[in-house]
Amino acid sequence: MKSFKYIFVFFFLASLASCSSSSGNWGWYVIDPTTKSGLANIKFLIGGFGATILLSIIAAFMSIILGLIVALPGFSNNFFLRSLNRIYVEFIRAIPLLPMLFWVFYGLPVIFQSLGLKIEIDAFWGAVITLAISDSAFTAEIYRAGIQSISRGQREAAQTIGLSQFQAMRYIIFPQALRRILPPLANQFIYIVKMSAFASVIGMQELTRRANEIVVTEYRPLEIYTLLILEYLILVLLISFAVRWLEKKLGSNESNSN
Amino acid sequence: MKEVINIKNISKYFGKFKALDSVNLNVLKGEKVVICGPSGSGKSTLVRCINRLESHDEGEISVLGHSLTDDRTCLESIKSKVSMVFQQFNLFPHLTVIDNLTLGPIKALGVSKKEAKERALYFLDRVKIPEQAYKKPNLLSGGQQQRVAIARALCLKPEIMLFDEPTSALDPEMIAEVLEVILDLANDGMTMVVVTHEMGFAKKAADKIIFMDDGKILEENIPSIFFKKPKTNRSKKFLDQVLNH
Ligand SMILES: Nc1ncnc2c1ncn2[C@@H]1O[C@H](COP(=O)(O)OP(=O)(O)O)[C@@H](O)[C@H]1O
Ligand SMILES: [Mg+2]
Repeated sequence: MKSFKYIFVFFFLASLASCSSSSGNWGWYVIDPTTKSGLANIKFLIGGFGATILLSIIAAFMSIILGLIVALPGFSNNFFLRSLNRIYVEFIRAIPLLPMLFWVFYGLPVIFQSLGLKIEIDAFWGAVITLAISDSAFTAEIYRAGIQSISRGQREAAQTIGLSQFQAMRYIIFPQALRRILPPLANQFIYIVKMSAFASVIGMQELTRRANEIVVTEYRPLEIYTLLILEYLILVLLISFAVRWLEKKLGSNESNSN
Repeated sequence: MKEVINIKNISKYFGKFKALDSVNLNVLKGEKVVICGPSGSGKSTLVRCINRLESHDEGEISVLGHSLTDDRTCLESIKSKVSMVFQQFNLFPHLTVIDNLTLGPIKALGVSKKEAKERALYFLDRVKIPEQAYKKPNLLSGGQQQRVAIARALCLKPEIMLFDEPTSALDPEMIAEVLEVILDLANDGMTMVVVTHEMGFAKKAADKIIFMDDGKILEENIPSIFFKKPKTNRSKKFLDQVLNH
């Protein structure tokens, strides 16, 4: 049933495209695959998929690990460790992505330089690091919510069968929390894909950057940005379907083991 | 006989609320102690202090010769020697019955997988559900789940078993099968502290009965006298209530 919604979206876009013949406002020729230049443009635009996907996957992967590292001290009995977790989450969550991106890409090398380090950050890694750090505050909170949702009785039962705190986490709490953690983590991946567009401003040749470059040469923002949105839409819908599938799988698991 | 639990004058506070008030209790090896009393009287808190799910604020508890303190090594030393069965079973829902049973012995005691499995099957047999070994807990009835929980506790070969209202969450028709298993264990010589309102069980199994109210032990007595001639008005009133239900 849900897929009707998506079909409607495509239909809407298709009808926008069909306006082109009757109205002078549209110039779909820029991305008309039957013409040589249109085809070249399309190829150039679609060529950004690789970078966007790679960027998002690496950033998401790093965020998943970093988020866990940030979340764990939050469960400590130690006030200092717990504070460390809170400060990180509140601080990182408060920084808008774009300023953070500038800070990492333009600012961090200055720090490295003053320390006498020869570390260069290219646009790709600048974007990956920024996305990963920015997102890790959210993934840390997802871990926290998931782990806290496991009842105290489970922890106590683990303790009474002699498990250490770490073992209880590893064998009892985390495996159960995982099925509550995975769906929101996967959702967070959608957020990363969309935010990866910011990488265009530091020169990363991903989807948005390529669209901008064609717009500058062709003066056809409407058509090209429409295509750009369509590109993100396809990506996000694919992930969205994957998340649904995952939720369903975990959900059915839950119903026969809880 | 050897004293395995020695509780001297312990008090426990939750904030300002005094949940345990100068409680004294001795349990000998092989002894069966039944604790009863109205809801909120501190029964669970007392039992949970014995295996350090709660820590006491005043007084002293020593279990199997180890004094319980905040020191981590004390937890190590009584670990798995004191096992507990909860009202809500607290089985691990993501693991099969057999994995519920073998996890503790393998990870905490370092028993080999093979031996842990043999042990698990032995105790499942003892609680009379050998055929459920490879199911997930949620497929079992409440009574069966609680028997799995008992088997899980036994797999650690504990010296003391604590039961906190093991039948209170069960449908009436399942209470008997669980009590039967616990009784069987009692006859086997296990040292047990059982919080329960099942007075029939107390009559059969208990060496002594503790009656608690308001965080205090009001009466400590042998069953034959406790049921005929309770010492305090409050225990009399309590008995009237449970026995007439
Ligand atoms: N973790 C806790 N925090 C605050 N109060 C608690 C906590 N656990 C128990 N209490 C209080 O301590 C009292 C005794 O509780 P409990 O030992 O569970 O009683 P019982 O098992 O006899 O019903 C109750 O009034 C209860 O509300
Ligand atoms: Mg209780």
